[in-house]
Amino acid sequence: MVATPVRTPAEQALAARYPAERTSLPGTADVIAIRDAAFGGVDRTGLPHRRVEDWKYTDLRARLKTFPPAAGAADVARILIAAPAVEGDKARRLVIANGRYRPELSDLKDLEPGLSVFSLATALEAGDAVVLAALKLDDGIAANTAVALNTAFMTDGLVITVAEGAEVARPVELVHIAEGEPAASTAVRHLVTVGKGARLTLIETIESLDTVAHQSNVLTMIEVGEGAKVDHIRLQLEPDEAVSLTTLVARIDREANFDTFNAALGAGLARAQIFAEFAGRDAEAGFRGITMLSGRRHADTTLSLVHGAENCQSRELYKAVIDGEARSVFAGRIAVPAHAQKTDARMMTASLLLSEEAEADAKPELEIFADDVQCGHGATCGAIDDDLLFYLLSRGISKVEAESMLILAFLGEAIDEIQNQAVHDALIHRVEGWLKARAA
Amino acid sequence: MLEIKNLHARIGDREILKGLTLTVNPGEVHAIMGPNGAGKSTLSYILAGKEDYEVTEGEVLLNGESILDLEPNERSVAGLFLAFQYPIEIPGVATMTFLKAALNAHRKAKGQDELTTPEFMKLVKGVSEKLNITSEMLRRPVNVGFSGGEKKRAEIMQMALLQPSICILDETDSGLDIDALKVVAEGVNALRSPDRAFVVITHYQRLLDHIVPDIVHVLSDGRIVRTGGPELALDLEKNGYAAYVADAAA
Repeated sequence: MVATPVRTPAEQALAARYPAERTSLPGTADVIAIRDAAFGGVDRTGLPHRRVEDWKYTDLRARLKTFPPAAGAADVARILIAAPAVEGDKARRLVIANGRYRPELSDLKDLEPGLSVFSLATALEAGDAVVLAALKLDDGIAANTAVALNTAFMTDGLVITVAEGAEVARPVELVHIAEGEPAASTAVRHLVTVGKGARLTLIETIESLDTVAHQSNVLTMIEVGEGAKVDHIRLQLEPDEAVSLTTLVARIDREANFDTFNAALGAGLARAQIFAEFAGRDAEAGFRGITMLSGRRHADTTLSLVHGAENCQSRELYKAVIDGEARSVFAGRIAVPAHAQKTDARMMTASLLLSEEAEADAKPELEIFADDVQCGHGATCGAIDDDLLFYLLSRGISKVEAESMLILAFLGEAIDEIQNQAVHDALIHRVEGWLKARAA
Repeated sequence: MLEIKNLHARIGDREILKGLTLTVNPGEVHAIMGPNGAGKSTLSYILAGKEDYEVTEGEVLLNGESILDLEPNERSVAGLFLAFQYPIEIPGVATMTFLKAALNAHRKAKGQDELTTPEFMKLVKGVSEKLNITSEMLRRPVNVGFSGGEKKRAEIMQMALLQPSICILDETDSGLDIDALKVVAEGVNALRSPDRAFVVITHYQRLLDHIVPDIVHVLSDGRIVRTGGPELALDLEKNGYAAYVADAAA
């Protein structure tokens, strides 16, 4: 191992913060031991840099300038009057403000039969055996820096359980809000277990009320039980100053159906990680997302999918629109072990570059050990098609409007897969806002 | 209305138009015929403002104003319309969204308010029905999944909606069967008026049976080499372009 010679300011802040906070973070001695192990790994290696393959295009050590202090309590009054990120939906909003679940701001009325919601902090304090077991992740995932930092510093989150056969009709929306100045860090973990044959739509919004350099780290674990159907959509909406690390860990059981969509619309530095695994045969999953970047923003989507069971089908589609000097990264790895025959996977990523300085990096990887599989991947990268643009212009449509129409069309293929109408509309509204800002 | 004076243009190092001069007055229908490679499509693209071509000499005036420095959308709202030889398919852009954006851009340029949705729907319905364009076609993305004939009819529909003063029809007959040709020609004829002019670019005389021109030009090697009445088209149909190609080469 190569020792990191000099600690960066962010690494120094990490090294100072953890020993000072470890015993005041929620959890029993067992939890502290889990936190210590996670932090120890990061402390030994330092933050990952471009020579670490998984972080090659997102050099966290170079890009993470600081690691601000833990967030204090949020001003409830400001959160109460803030406009919701998704309007007009019927979702059950559960609010996590400055890293803490706030039941008094959340909609807990008439919980559907089979749906239970409680605080992770409470479970950690109680040493809940089931929750503690769920904190244990596969070594490869646990060692990931964003995951390890989440484990070390997590303050709260939600433990959501949908009982076997329960169909939760109302979407559940996890509303993450950062409030206040100066910049602060939050680490939140959610554990979502959807039982056999159950149904759940889970929406996550991540936003900040202040344009300061907040750092948020949200890790969501979803267990999709046998024959269950789960739809997960995340809107990542922080201001340009912010750093956003999100991780989805999904385990998809036999005959289950799982879809996840990530809209990377905010934060100057964003990384959305997905670690997913087919754990039972005949399951289906869709992994999709859009990224919209301008200025000097940097957004990374890193997907690792283990097609670990027979006859499972997956579709991956990630689209990025990049303007200014921004940079979009997509790394997608699909592993098919020898026993996972009849695997069917199609991974596609496409980037639309709107300026000379915009950059897209795409790294699709397939590791296939089974012999009876259909796996494909494709990556495209290009500018707006001149012929399409000319056709629209020739009908009197201005250049910016024509470009907006073509950008929206480009993203539409991914966005139109979102089943929840309110979220779909909220996303289109955000995309149109981005296009208007670009045209201005 | 449209004056093209000594127009020279090239793409890369290849000179395609070599001193083309043409005057089109309001109410007239001009046909431009010529062999492959004469520069017919180049002329239509240059008039519409496609970037790939470089005008090296000459000028193009629309209602007395030079248009060569205008962007394609500015030319459109100034009253120029190009019906494409190969209309472009635009996946993901709904036909109605496209038509509305185009119409409103024209209205905005004229200082008019945007149309309300019911006004717009009524307008499109009126125009599309005459061209046998079904509501199912209008629900599709722009030109996607349209047959060759449907695409050409859709071009004429756009023309009818935008009410241009000068219409350039680039080989609108290519890829059309005889029935579709009649529908397209009727659509064009319905738009003929004393204050609107047409330039019909075609290989074949067939289209001109249905859209009868006032003046026929022969374009060969980047220049108009002969101008005459409708009888010129019949002569070309019978004798071919060989004589003009030889003239131009001489």
